[in-house]
Amino acid sequence: MDPMEVFKIEVEGDEAFGAKKYRELIMDILQDLGLIRSIGRLYVYIDIKKPFFSVYGLLRSGIPPLTAKDVGDVMKVQGGYQVKINDEEHMSDLLRALWERYGRERVDQPARDVLIIASDSSPADLMVADLEAEFMQDLTDALVRIAPEGFRNRRNEMTKDSFFFIAAEEQLTQEMVSEIKEKIRGMENA
Amino acid sequence: MLEPVMFTGGLYKHDLIVELVEDLGGYILQKNVAQSEIILLILVPSEDKAALEALAKELRGELVRAPLAGTETAVVTPTLAIHHLPHTACDIAEYLRRHGSKTNMMGLARGVGREIAQINEYETALINEHDAAVFIYGNFQECIKHKEKLYQNISIPVVVTGGPQIDSKELPYAFDYVPSIGRVAHRAKKATEIGTLDRIVEAVGRALDKTRASIAKDPLTTSPPRIMDAVREQVPDVEFSYSPLPIALNLTGVRVKLPYSHYKDDVAAVKFDEGVRLGEIATIRPSQMKDYILVRILPSSETGFVF
Repeated sequence: MDPMEVFKIEVEGDEAFGAKKYRELIMDILQDLGLIRSIGRLYVYIDIKKPFFSVYGLLRSGIPPLTAKDVGDVMKVQGGYQVKINDEEHMSDLLRALWERYGRERVDQPARDVLIIASDSSPADLMVADLEAEFMQDLTDALVRIAPEGFRNRRNEMTKDSFFFIAAEEQLTQEMVSEIKEKIRGMENA
Repeated sequence: MLEPVMFTGGLYKHDLIVELVEDLGGYILQKNVAQSEIILLILVPSEDKAALEALAKELRGELVRAPLAGTETAVVTPTLAIHHLPHTACDIAEYLRRHGSKTNMMGLARGVGREIAQINEYETALINEHDAAVFIYGNFQECIKHKEKLYQNISIPVVVTGGPQIDSKELPYAFDYVPSIGRVAHRAKKATEIGTLDRIVEAVGRALDKTRASIAKDPLTTSPPRIMDAVREQVPDVEFSYSPLPIALNLTGVRVKLPYSHYKDDVAAVKFDEGVRLGEIATIRPSQMKDYILVRILPSSETGFVF
């Protein structure tokens, strides 16, 4: 079963096998990078004779930025605040954010997963990582991996809730881009 | 006739196998030690295979036929990027190795795309040093047919793999076409996928048989394993080569992994019991691979004798 609501793929010419395999390939790569749950609808249009590869996708609701209280437990202690880390993956991001706000001399790390901040202001709402920006980076990486290799003329239009990616061997022209957009709109409304 | 087999077993007492093979007049082609396990690629006279089988059984080892032993296959992908590696290319290379072949994986410098794909003279010459090549293509038949230009100047048999079903006649420059293994992003695990790998091994085997048949029409002056043995004995420095396989066998000669400029004379001076020197029965020239020495045995029509 597809985890996506809609996943359509169209390949020009007699390439039914290629279309089927590309579907599996896209699923494999999105699953590998852990992106599949964040994409709601996906439309892929390929013409191998011209040749170009295009994807249009709609994203599921936005991801809120990661704050210090998401990464660990923030407690008021004597002389400041203590953060007990639960998710070590973002430790370096948290440290960088704390150093930036409080200065290195006021951030102490007595144990591997404990940070003590000598300040009266709570770090609970401090932004540790912008997950949405990370997601967008991962998505671009996935699209570059999915596109056939050698299609080096690329265009990537990303908004908060959608992305549109074209890769081609030859130079991308305005007519070509609008033709592809038209085609994808047709797929969307079909 | 010598039969290629592969012994897999414990390191303990494996020298009994080595001794028996030498006594029977066979050759040890390759020795791979992995902790307490050992894999030996062996050429053994077919009439004495039963003796080796009995010893292997006694040592609780496994002896299987390795039809591709003593040959070198190039596994060629359009590039070495994530699009082609690791899954398909590594699976194919690994599977060929399990059947005894020595495989070299190659990524072309500019093999990507459809219109822009190209291969250069050096890459062609390097692939031609092998006994067979496997070209790994993707899922679109239009591209597979179009990218024929990459291997049409290659003189060794080329097995092409790709996703869709295409009649081999539509690819006149390929020796054979094996479908159902295009670009995939997972390892080959299913029975159908393993079956496809078997078909590739079978196609490469047929390609090698064709080369063997054409060699048999004008036999080589001596066999490559004999040269390997003599070089190993008379150029002892080869044992200090860092390569896992210091002397690689081909159907028509060997590749000695020592610097050409320093060792070419030593290799040419290798003497056989019959009184001839290697330089007289083979051409010795620099290999396209690093600065190795490529030895190509002359056919009997040129030297006038076979030993």
